Amino acid sequence: MNPEKALKLFRSPLVVVNVGPKSFATAIEKQGYETVQVDWKPLAGGDKQMQELLVVLGY
Amino acid sequence: MTVREQVEAANKRVLDIFTKARPIWRDVRPAIEVIPGMQKNLVLIPGPPIAPENLPIPLKTAVSGAAVHEGLAKNLEEAWQMVLRGEIKVDAAQNYNCSNAASMATSASMPVFVVTDETSGGTGFCTIHPGASPRVLRWGIYGPDVEENLSWLRDEFGPILGEAVRKSGGIDLIALLSKTAGMGDENHNRQPASSMAMALALIPWMLEVDHPKVKENVAWLAANDRFSLQPLMAGIEGIMSAAKQVPYSTVMVGMGGNGIEFGIQVAATGNRWYTTKAPLILGTFLKPTTTKDDLLGYLGDSCVTEVWGLGGMGAIAGPTYAKLTGSTFEDARERTERARKVSLGEHSFDPVPWDGYRGTPVCVDVRKVVAYGVLPISHGGSGLKTGGQAGAGACELPLECFKKALIGVGEAVIR
Repeated sequence: MNPEKALKLFRSPLVVVNVGPKSFATAIEKQGYETVQVDWKPLAGGDKQMQELLVVLGY
Repeated sequence: MTVREQVEAANKRVLDIFTKARPIWRDVRPAIEVIPGMQKNLVLIPGPPIAPENLPIPLKTAVSGAAVHEGLAKNLEEAWQMVLRGEIKVDAAQNYNCSNAASMATSASMPVFVVTDETSGGTGFCTIHPGASPRVLRWGIYGPDVEENLSWLRDEFGPILGEAVRKSGGIDLIALLSKTAGMGDENHNRQPASSMAMALALIPWMLEVDHPKVKENVAWLAANDRFSLQPLMAGIEGIMSAAKQVPYSTVMVGMGGNGIEFGIQVAATGNRWYTTKAPLILGTFLKPTTTKDDLLGYLGDSCVTEVWGLGGMGAIAGPTYAKLTGSTFEDARERTERARKVSLGEHSFDPVPWDGYRGTPVCVDVRKVVAYGVLPISHGGSGLKTGGQAGAGACELPLECFKKALIGVGEAVIR
C-alpha cells in the first residue's frame, strides 16, 4: 500500500464496521466512536441441509 | 447444463409465463362442463388435500352443503356420512386449476368463471362471489337462505353472466388491472376499483341478455365491490396451470389453507403440496367479542393472488387495506419491500404512483425465501372455528413450507 494512503487512513476518524451481535457496536459507540452495523445472517439460518440444497440449486 | 443453470433457465421461463400472461375471462359454465376431472360426486375444497375426518367445522358444513345443493343428500348429516363412506369425494381445488375463496366448496352444478391465459393457453376456474351477506357457503354456513343464494347463482345470475361475457367477446383482465392501477386496490382483499371497472365492461352486455330479471341482476352486480376477485383467481389458476408444467423451476405456483393445514406448490413439482400447520390471519375482528382463540387457521385459496404478485405482495398498491386491518402505510410498504427480496421480477401492468411507479413484485423463489429467511406476507379474511367470518388481516407465510418445498425440488431435479 502507498505509505501516504496508509497514513491518511490512520489519521482519519475511526468508523468501526461490526459484523456480529449489535452489543459489540454499542460498546464502541459508548466510547464515542461511529459504527456501521452489518445486517448479516448465515445462509438459511445455518441449516446445513438447506445450505447444501441451495448450493446445488443455485445459491 | 448444470442443475443450477437448468433452474435459472426454468425460473426465467416461469417469470415470462407470470409477467407476459394475458388472462381473458371468456365464459361462465357449470363446473362439471368445464373443469377437467370434475365429477358429480366430487367437491373441491381450498388448501392442500386433507382426510375428510380432519376437516374443520366450516369446511365440513361447506362440503355437506354443496352435496345437498347437488341433490346428492337430503340434509347435512346424510351428506357428511356419505363423505365419510367415500361416496362423496373431496379433493384440493388447486389440483384442478380451480380455487375457492375462504371456506367455499365447488361442486358439479355450480357456475364457474372460465378464464384463459391467451399467452400460455392455460385455463382456470372459480365460483362466483356470493355477495355481501355474512351467511354464505364461502364462510362455512348452510341453510335455506344460503341454498336460495346458491340456486339463484346457478339458475339465474350465472347463466345471465355467462351470456353477457360471451356477447362481450371476453374481458381482458390485464387491461382492467392496468386501468385501475393507482386506484388503491391490492386485489386480494380490496378491489372496489377493479370491480367497478369490471361492472362497467359487463353491464352493456348484460342489458342485451333476454331475461325478465336482467335489471335486478345488473343491480346486484353493481353492488358487489368484491366481484372481480373470483374472475382474477380463475385467471391466475390458468396461468399457474402453465407454470406447473415447467420442470426445474423453484417458483411458487400455488398456495392455500384448509383451516388446519397450509400449503404451497412449486413449479418443478406441479401439484405436489408442501404443508405445515395453518397460521392465523391477524388484524381486526368484525365483532369486539371475538378473540384470537376463536380463529381457525388460514382458510382459502384467494391467496393465489399473492402467488401472482398481488394482495400482500403488492400491499403498497392498496395501503388502505393495511390501515383498515390495524397496520400502517409503512407496514404496507414493508410488505412489498420484503416481497421484492424474494421475488424474481415485477409486473409492468400495475405501476404504483406512490411507490416510484414500480410494479408489484412477482414470482416468489423458494430458494430466496429459505436462503434469506425472508417470509412474504399474505392478506386474507379470517374464519371462525364454528363458521362465519372473524375479520381480516395478514400473516407471514410459514418458512416450513418453503424448506419442505426446497427438499421436494431437490428430490425432483438432483439425480
